[in-house]
Amino acid sequence: MTDVSTKADTPRTTASDVAGTPRRRRRSARLSPLLAAFVLVPFAVESIWVFWPALQGFWFSLTRWDGQTPPQFIGVDNYVELVGDATFRGALINTVIWLVLFGGLSVVGGFGMALLLQRDRRGVGFYRAALFTPVVFSLVVTALVWRVFYQPDGVADSILRAIGLEHLIRPWLADPETALYAVILPALWRQIGYVMVLFLAGLKAIDPALHEAARMDGANAWQRLWHVTVPQLKGVNAVVLSVIVIDSLRSFDIVWSLTRGGPYHSSELLSTYMYSAAFQSLRLGYASAIAVVIFVLALAVILGYLVRAFREEA
Amino acid sequence: MIQKFRTGAFHSGMILLSLLWLAPVLWVVVMSTRTFDDIAAHGVGSLPHSFTLDTYRQAWTDGGELQALINSMLVTIPSVALSLALAAVGAFALSRYRIPGRRTILLLMLAGNLLPPQILLIPVQKFSELTGLYDTLWALIAVQVGFGLGFYTFVLHGFMRDLPGEIQEAATIDGAGPWQIFARVMLPLTRPALAALGALSFTWIFNDLLWAITVLRTDDRMPVTPALLALQGQFVSSWSVIAAGTVIAAVPTVAVFLRFQRHFVSGLAIGAVK
Amino acid sequence: MRKGHRVTDFDPGRRRLLGHLGLAGLGVLGAGPLLTACASSASGPASGGGGSKAVTLQSNLSSPQAKTAIEKLIDSFNKQGKGTASVNTIASETFRTQLPTYLTSANPPDLYTWYAGSVANDYASKGLLLDVSDVWQGLGEYPQSLRTLSTDASGKQVFVPMTNYWWGFFYRKSNFAKWGVQEPKTWAEFLSVCQTIQSKGVPPIGIGLGDTPWVASAWFDYLNIRINGAQFHRELLAGKQRFDDPKVKAVFLRWREALPYFDPKGKAYPFQEATTALLAGKTGMFLIGTFFADAAPKDALGDLDFFRFPIIDPAVPVAEEAPTDGFFASAKTGNATGTKALLSYLASVEAQEEYVRSSSGIVLPAHPKAKAADSPLVSKGKAMLESAAELTQFFNRDSSDALQPTADTALTKFIDKPDQIDAILREWQAGAEKVFKG
Repeated sequence: MTDVSTKADTPRTTASDVAGTPRRRRRSARLSPLLAAFVLVPFAVESIWVFWPALQGFWFSLTRWDGQTPPQFIGVDNYVELVGDATFRGALINTVIWLVLFGGLSVVGGFGMALLLQRDRRGVGFYRAALFTPVVFSLVVTALVWRVFYQPDGVADSILRAIGLEHLIRPWLADPETALYAVILPALWRQIGYVMVLFLAGLKAIDPALHEAARMDGANAWQRLWHVTVPQLKGVNAVVLSVIVIDSLRSFDIVWSLTRGGPYHSSELLSTYMYSAAFQSLRLGYASAIAVVIFVLALAVILGYLVRAFREEA
Repeated sequence: MIQKFRTGAFHSGMILLSLLWLAPVLWVVVMSTRTFDDIAAHGVGSLPHSFTLDTYRQAWTDGGELQALINSMLVTIPSVALSLALAAVGAFALSRYRIPGRRTILLLMLAGNLLPPQILLIPVQKFSELTGLYDTLWALIAVQVGFGLGFYTFVLHGFMRDLPGEIQEAATIDGAGPWQIFARVMLPLTRPALAALGALSFTWIFNDLLWAITVLRTDDRMPVTPALLALQGQFVSSWSVIAAGTVIAAVPTVAVFLRFQRHFVSGLAIGAVK
Repeated sequence: MRKGHRVTDFDPGRRRLLGHLGLAGLGVLGAGPLLTACASSASGPASGGGGSKAVTLQSNLSSPQAKTAIEKLIDSFNKQGKGTASVNTIASETFRTQLPTYLTSANPPDLYTWYAGSVANDYASKGLLLDVSDVWQGLGEYPQSLRTLSTDASGKQVFVPMTNYWWGFFYRKSNFAKWGVQEPKTWAEFLSVCQTIQSKGVPPIGIGLGDTPWVASAWFDYLNIRINGAQFHRELLAGKQRFDDPKVKAVFLRWREALPYFDPKGKAYPFQEATTALLAGKTGMFLIGTFFADAAPKDALGDLDFFRFPIIDPAVPVAEEAPTDGFFASAKTGNATGTKALLSYLASVEAQEEYVRSSSGIVLPAHPKAKAADSPLVSKGKAMLESAAELTQFFNRDSSDALQPTADTALTKFIDKPDQIDAILREWQAGAEKVFKG
């Protein structure tokens, strides 16, 4: 395939290239100060505003701290407490549900929409814009819209009544059975358009000749989707996966503004629990420990994928 | 015949879906034109019984949205430009040259983005104080750039890595240095990705709330999202004023998206080059 | 001008106080800035004026009338020439989460709107608040109760009150007349009123817990101070009693008698919507603080009345919830003199009367000589508070903002699942212990 040969020529290298061709070795030997600056400046900026604060955060997770008096070192007590904390366990389970439902559905929905809308034809621009519009709204807007949608005698109830399903009516956001799912819906509303745009960008980058070739070989639409499109999207997949995992684990604003993790922790995610531990209970040490757990989870999922992706390339 | 039918089904399905997607937005726009008494009498969920544009005046002048929008622009535009510039050079070097430890650096930078921002709030606040930037828009710009960089670099790295190597080889043979290769060859090819990313980062930074309230504390320096929250506090149950403020606050991001959408749909050069 | 004299008269007193403060301040974190501030005030009368930098007032009063009112006050203060000040209004939810950050920052705003009681005491115990005892030297007319409320554990005053308000069962007079019910005095009467209203097809008790779950704490507070008394209530909130105590369970058993009369929709909407529901006659009555009036159309207020939370045990001295709002200052303020001058002004009759006039009106000025708004509702509220044997603040104000979420969880769960009282109280106690432990 054309793609394979292109890739082999690019300087994007893998472990096996260390003893590569002379040409490659020459280039690495000539690493200019400019290139070093290209890497170091962004890295330094991120170090100052992210890594250093994060290290402090890790340190705080080993302390008891109210944010006002100096932190007190208590070792791993916070983590021990996490293990026995029922609210934390609930939040962890909810986060996994969230990751699967929100993450899964937004990938499926976003990819489906991207496939439908990838060809430029009349009206497509409008449809794309329509699906993407929720992405540009801030949480205040989204919360406002959906709160009214779910409120007693609000839009959701009116719709159910109109189609004769009034027995299903319940206080959607205040019922512990439905609160989590009622919050996933607006989150999806915002996310699908976003994922769609990422996939659209990826689909655009696929050489149409590949599809043409596959069509010549008699592959049907499904086979082309599965054997041509999906493998070609590897780069985008990594981005989408990162985005989904980051957004799932950090999903905070929409939950916070609609339910604050309630009623009684039934829609609590790790991110909301962390925020309330930090800024409501003023237990910053404990909150930092939750943040570390979120970070480790995200890292595990994404690095797991990336390491596999890198290995496949090698 | 079948083709026509499929086109018809496609369009009717998509129109329905688009309307479903836009309905909440349209509904906010409609609500923003209702009077206080109308909403008080019929509730927020009902159809409008009134029409006014005074809500926009209230949000714009009494709610201080003008100042907030200016602040947002002062923060968002430099932040987007700076973070994309830094991410582009970083991604370029990391994807096109054999920088020692490049994969570790890339993964580290991405890992930085996996951190829940809440864990960073307090240290960042203390640090901005230490540098004397606290309560200035500079602090907000700096933290937005720092926090977004990892992800932007990762995305741009993905795009640049997949660009064909021949052009770069040719340029190198012609004696072009890294800067020329970056500015003349790679950057034009990366434009679609930059446009898409620029539009996205614009919405993120523009809509941000957490960082703004962390590093700012003076009301007339607050960007638009915290200002909207303040508007909510100020017009407790004046849903229509809040809706009007909301519409105003959403206009820039919608405009940016519509502007760039055309750009990155039509200008995707990667496929053509390949 | 009268005011101006008072501040000048005040100065020698402040200098005399220096010695006491210095002693009292030993070992207290705030002592450093305090001493320098006092020293600068002793250096000459000029330092109290425009020479030092403007005092910043960080305000959470973001509702339109209150915001205008506080801005007017600051304008008047600036015109007096005893210093300059500026207001900085932050959305109240943002303000609440950021307050610890403001206070601990290296260069904090000077003055803050906030609450009296345990909440202020909590910050004071961490050395974050300015000792304003010398402001209190000039507040001799204030009742002892407010002075005590403004005093921290170490005996110095850290808070200056501005207004207070009350909680009660609000209802529409026309609706009560229509349903043929009268204000109940006792719990039994209350339940029978509920029954009557319910028989008319209206949910008797409105509540708004969606987004504002803390409203439920008013029920807990009131039942507890009616059944177990204010003393026990305060001890409970201070961690000296346990939430799984049988006395606390008694509160919930009593509450359970009223639960069938709660508006089931109240779980889902915030108190603002609950207010709308009350005004529209969709609920019978609503236990709420007077701040709800901010969210009500003005023409509806004339038809509103309230009654005090019914008496359950006549042997328990009657206490009322009367949250006090006011100001405290940062211990790190760069301009203690100016801050204190502003505080003295804000505590004055004229400032509070001006504030009450230009704000929405249903608040009571803290100064005993300042006149409240002239309305039957306000007079009735004032009379109720004056007749009370004891005043409490509110759940979070009598404990801490950190304890409030534990109450929200426990109380909303109870309203949903009243047969799980024991488990809920056990969880509450465990959650509270974590907060007290830090």
